[in-house]
Amino acid sequence: MADICIEFISTKTLARHSGDKLDYLLGNIRDNKIVVLEDPLNSNEEKELIKETMKYVDSKFTGIEISTLGGEDNGRGSVLIGMLGGKRAGLTVIGPSRLIRQMKKDPNAIHLFARSR
Amino acid sequence: MPIGKFLAWLQTFFNGRKQIALGLYGSPNAGKTTVANRIAIDWVGEPVGKVSEIPHETRVVQKKERVSMNVNGRKLTMNLLDMPGIATKVDYRDFLKYGLNTKESQQRAKEATKGIIEAIKWLENVDAALVIMDASEDPYTQVNITILGNLEAKKIPVILVANKIDLSNSKPHLIKEAFPQYPVVEISALKGTNFDRLYEVITQKLH
Repeated sequence: MADICIEFISTKTLARHSGDKLDYLLGNIRDNKIVVLEDPLNSNEEKELIKETMKYVDSKFTGIEISTLGGEDNGRGSVLIGMLGGKRAGLTVIGPSRLIRQMKKDPNAIHLFARSR
Repeated sequence: MPIGKFLAWLQTFFNGRKQIALGLYGSPNAGKTTVANRIAIDWVGEPVGKVSEIPHETRVVQKKERVSMNVNGRKLTMNLLDMPGIATKVDYRDFLKYGLNTKESQQRAKEATKGIIEAIKWLENVDAALVIMDASEDPYTQVNITILGNLEAKKIPVILVANKIDLSNSKPHLIKEAFPQYPVVEISALKGTNFDRLYEVITQKLH
């Protein structure tokens, strides 16, 4: 039975990768890691991540499972929070779809079912 | 004013009616093409594209231009854009069980990924959207949430279409509960159920 690696990525680490955030995340996911982001992705970032993911899909890497809890962009409020160095409440979980059997979401929880290889 | 917008304005001026780009979005196999075909057949007499039980049948954006609706005196002319289904994963092995061989499945998967990219790019270029959901499936998926989040960020008007209400396990109320901020129309594109109501809501909300 293979190990499953779950990497928790802090807001600080993501800030260091602000210029190559999606590449950084996809690199980890394609390395067969499940990543949990302290700073949740917004809808636009999720959209861009799906778009980037599709460029790498082949017989070995079949895509991702993703779920975000909270993290809605609240307009000027979230901009102000960002300016003050704070983070939006919530988290994002992303992993390779060959590893994650199912990710179910309700408004208050993410249920992740993974399989080892 | 850019020439494209000027021409659109001229067309609107002379036709006396509004013209919009209406995108049909959703996950693969939600029934987008079946819905698009019903609308196109009802208003221009010909379908938009081919439907199939195999996921990712629509792999390029299919258009039906100048579809004119007239409901209760409200006129609306639209370019109907049937989008490829948006998904976060595409595994060619999923197509094998539908009888495609390995080469065909891999080709379909490759085209499907390009279709997803194309559909995502179009998210910023539609004037309004019908987001089609399979009422027999859990509506609270990240794909649905991401599509709606992006449309909302661009202030693009959205109508949710709860499709497949003919199925015994359909639960369209779950769509209303998951996304209470949007108008929801319950239909069966396969049976043609409740399309009059859909046309009413389209012409009312997007006019």
